[in-house]
Amino acid sequence: MDQSPAIVNVEQVSRRFALDHNQARSYVAALDHASFAVEPGEFLAIAGPSGSGKSTLLNLIGCIDKPSEGRILVDGVDTSRLDSSRMTTLRREKIGFVFQTFNLIPVFTAAENVEFPLLVQGVGARERRTRVAEALESVGLSSRAGHRPDLLSGGERQRVAVARAIVHRPALVLADEPTANLDTRNATQLIDLMRDLNQRLGLTFIFSTHDARLLEHTPRIVRLCDGQIESDTHTGAQLLAAQGASHD
Amino acid sequence: MTKFLLLAFRNVFRNRRRTLMTLLMVGGGVTGLLLAGGFFAFMFHGLREMTISNGLGHIQIFTAEHFQRDEDRALSTGIDNWRQAAATIRTGRHVRGVAPRIDFYGMVSNGSKSSVFMGSAVDPAAERSLGFTARLSSGRDLDPKPDGEIEALIGAGLARSMGVKVGDGLTLLSMTADGALNGVDIQIVGIVNSGIAEMDARYLRINLASAQRLLQSDRVTNLVVGLDSTEYTDQVAGELAPRLNGMAQPLVLKKWIDLATYYKQVRTLFSGIFLFLGVIVFFMVLMSSVNTLLMAMFERTREIGTMLAMGTPRLWIVVLFMLEATLLGVFGAVVGVAAGNLLGVALNASGLHLPPPPGNTSDMPFRVLFVPGLMIGSSIMVIVSLALASILPAIRASRLQIAEALSHV
Repeated sequence: MDQSPAIVNVEQVSRRFALDHNQARSYVAALDHASFAVEPGEFLAIAGPSGSGKSTLLNLIGCIDKPSEGRILVDGVDTSRLDSSRMTTLRREKIGFVFQTFNLIPVFTAAENVEFPLLVQGVGARERRTRVAEALESVGLSSRAGHRPDLLSGGERQRVAVARAIVHRPALVLADEPTANLDTRNATQLIDLMRDLNQRLGLTFIFSTHDARLLEHTPRIVRLCDGQIESDTHTGAQLLAAQGASHD
Repeated sequence: MTKFLLLAFRNVFRNRRRTLMTLLMVGGGVTGLLLAGGFFAFMFHGLREMTISNGLGHIQIFTAEHFQRDEDRALSTGIDNWRQAAATIRTGRHVRGVAPRIDFYGMVSNGSKSSVFMGSAVDPAAERSLGFTARLSSGRDLDPKPDGEIEALIGAGLARSMGVKVGDGLTLLSMTADGALNGVDIQIVGIVNSGIAEMDARYLRINLASAQRLLQSDRVTNLVVGLDSTEYTDQVAGELAPRLNGMAQPLVLKKWIDLATYYKQVRTLFSGIFLFLGVIVFFMVLMSSVNTLLMAMFERTREIGTMLAMGTPRLWIVVLFMLEATLLGVFGAVVGVAAGNLLGVALNASGLHLPPPPGNTSDMPFRVLFVPGLMIGSSIMVIVSLALASILPAIRASRLQIAEALSHV
């Protein structure tokens, strides 16, 4: 790992949810004093059983929720100090999202869905066309550009979602259980695609999963249990060695 | 912006059944307003033309004094050189004719009984050329060039009161312009039934020249101007006013609308009724649209959450929802205008008639006029209604908590 500054710094972050709005002291801790850093270009999995706090952690890193305690720095910016408008700008410019249920806009074609983040950013039409074509090409869906989501398979929809997440060249791509609605073959293909984009384009990926089979090719795994980090495992060296041996 | 508009457009037709129901509701409202408003416009038009053709004319010319003081003697505020004024007016564009008139009053007697009358002296040929005809229940109209006795039309109530019929004679007594009492014998040639009992109990009409002889004056009370069409009234009035300013005696010009009190009362009443209908339709569309748009918002909660997560400004979400509602309003208005016009054509072709209105004996045809202003107004009304209805759902959508919205099922 080089000495470049971390793209994400999670520092003693907790997130508590009130159980009863009338009783402020009654709450549940979805995340409890979690700390870790993510370097640019990393491919990181957040693993753990359902309810372990994976989605909460991704929401906090993705600036769609705020920690109850601690702070998160994204690309050097302390997100806990940002107002709603600046959070929106940060999400728009720095982060790409992939969701468990794809969350494509059903009335838009695949290309239009991919184009949407660029529209929000105010990118010109010609530039948008070029980038959409590149993004769809990179996920192998150029031929399906004109299809609406209901005419695509689950795997194809999620690849469109990945293309949408990377089209504006974010500093960070967050994927919350991206394979949960896919069969094993499509799930493996999607993880391979994300890994390929990570290596080819140098994009930082953080994704959550509770499927142990998908973690086999993941160089770093942060394991959560009951809102606490149970382990933070770097397997990059072993993976590189394994890949090197297979090439030999 | 084009893509954003496209998104709004496609969202409108996302749930086709619901959109269809909304379009039917909005379109139905517009159709109802067009038919009601079109019928009212027909009634207004009919009443307007009836008022004008019953003798009011399109424009009337008086002396300025006529409106400043009551006459102390007959025709003391009348028009002196009315023939010159009439000739000047006749040269104007779209002027069909000019009819001089005298309003006078006095006593009418059959020898044993007397009664008050309200007289109107006319030039029968001029009246006829303008299409002004008395509503006779018996007898005939005045002869333009009578020889011998003075002909008269009297109201049905006055005839009953005096116990006379067509062919009988009466004596008129009136004050002359000099303040002396003068009298003439008349022969009844027709009985008038205007439908207004109060008027028929006092009404009497004689030839202009006979009245001038009775009143010992060459003046007339006013000049009634008839035009080719009511639509020219403002134009002709605008052209005539400066020309009349050149007359020795100050004259003023009154348009038919200034004199048509009954027409204005009816129009005000029905306009109020129509406004009330409009308000009902407005709120009906508003309330049902709020419900529909809220349902659409709840259905799209996760999608809105996704858009917000991707950094879409919250204002965009507000604009998107309002744009969708406005588009729905536009489509509803188009459907409503099309349906309203088609139904209007069908109703007009059906030959439908309504029972006679008060004071009339014949059925009233049911017609719907196609009023562009009404179509535009109704359309704007429903579009604004839809846009307003979308404010609450739009604001709710824009204020969604992203994390909660993304986990919405």
